[in-house]
Amino acid sequence: MKSSILRAGVALACALGLAACGGGDGDLLLQGTIYSGVTKTGLVLTNNGGDDLAIPAGATSFQFSRAVSTDDEFNIEVKSYPSNVKTCTINNGKARANYYTIAQVTMSCEIKTHPFKIQIQGLTTNGLVVVNGTDRRDVLPNTPVLEMSPVYEDGPYGVTILTQPTGQTCSVANGTGTMGSTDTDNNKVVVTCA
Amino acid sequence: MKFSFARGALALMATLSLASCGGGKATFPINVTVYGVSYDGLVLTTNGQDLAVNHTGTGADPVTVTAVFPKQLDYGETYDVVPKPVVTPTTVTAADGTTSTVNVTTYKYPLHQTCQQSGSYPTNLPTYGTAGQLSSIQIYYVCSINAYPLVAKVTGLRGTGLTLANGSGPAPVAVSPTLDANSAPTGADITNLSLFSVTYNTTYGVTILTQPTGQTCTISGGANGTGAGTMDDAAEKAGGVSNFVIACVNNPT
Repeated sequence: MKSSILRAGVALACALGLAACGGGDGDLLLQGTIYSGVTKTGLVLTNNGGDDLAIPAGATSFQFSRAVSTDDEFNIEVKSYPSNVKTCTINNGKARANYYTIAQVTMSCEIKTHPFKIQIQGLTTNGLVVVNGTDRRDVLPNTPVLEMSPVYEDGPYGVTILTQPTGQTCSVANGTGTMGSTDTDNNKVVVTCA
Repeated sequence: MKFSFARGALALMATLSLASCGGGKATFPINVTVYGVSYDGLVLTTNGQDLAVNHTGTGADPVTVTAVFPKQLDYGETYDVVPKPVVTPTTVTAADGTTSTVNVTTYKYPLHQTCQQSGSYPTNLPTYGTAGQLSSIQIYYVCSINAYPLVAKVTGLRGTGLTLANGSGPAPVAVSPTLDANSAPTGADITNLSLFSVTYNTTYGVTILTQPTGQTCTISGGANGTGAGTMDDAAEKAGGVSNFVIACVNNPT
């Protein structure tokens, strides 16, 4: 009889002890700062493989809903990426929780880029200069395809003629648009010279 | 006799011990590191001394320049290293025609650049202080190339959804029509619309990314008349390019 009371007492003490040292939810809210690259929905973060957290487009910070306790280990990882993101880098995402470490997590995501090619037709003379904003290209005669700097997926482009070639006049068709999600379906900008 | 000998020895010892523990005069050089120098012309100044920081290397490639002020500071001297100010008395004419003279302060930055105290760790240290506060004096500045705005006038805009792009760099700019008291579009001109900021010596090419509903807009202006150009010396002197006109007309029904 006495021993069973003792046993129950030990079990209770154990249960309390476990709860106190991190068996349950703590009072530290795990959070982080997003520097760049989250322009679409679809980013899901996990802590220790669970506690899924969906990050909305344009978010600059995040906070996990489940609190953690002091000295709990946390490990923040990306479960799924938005469709236009190549990869995300998380800094200080794995540590033991305390008031300092839970607020030191930062993340930046890198948006995919795609090659940007312009078709050039009928150019026979020198002097053509094509720009996509700050991306400036001198085009030589008889160039079939002009490769510009890569453009971010879902990012804009706007090709215009800065300088016309000697004795010819060129015009741009489909010069402005938004970069799609493949490497080839955007190569529809055509510069026709006559 | 013996007593005076002891006194002399004591004085000598005191002198020696003082010298050994820093009674000698310590001086502090003012070391300077400037990041992102692309052009000549930066002059930093402190304690009545000037230090010219010029570009090295080829073209306008940004480089990191290190330099030391000619004179060192004594322990306890204060310093405050700043780009050298130049005060120019300038005559300004008020709206009523009266003129007055005001002092305009500019700074000896590199040509086409502006320099600021470094803002990022570990170089975000104060550019002022007292010699001896830290074991050495190290000043950091960061220079960036100036950018100037492209300014437009939009005429006849009544539809929504007009967005403008300058290549792939900056985010597109959305333009909304002016509305009257009943929230109906008036088609009134939108003037002094700042579109994009363009860095000196780079090109720009403004295009219409999406047309407004029911309308077609065309763009003119820029150095070449069709929305493109280079932010060159002339554009810099004018403080940007402000001749853009975006003319919108209703689509034929």
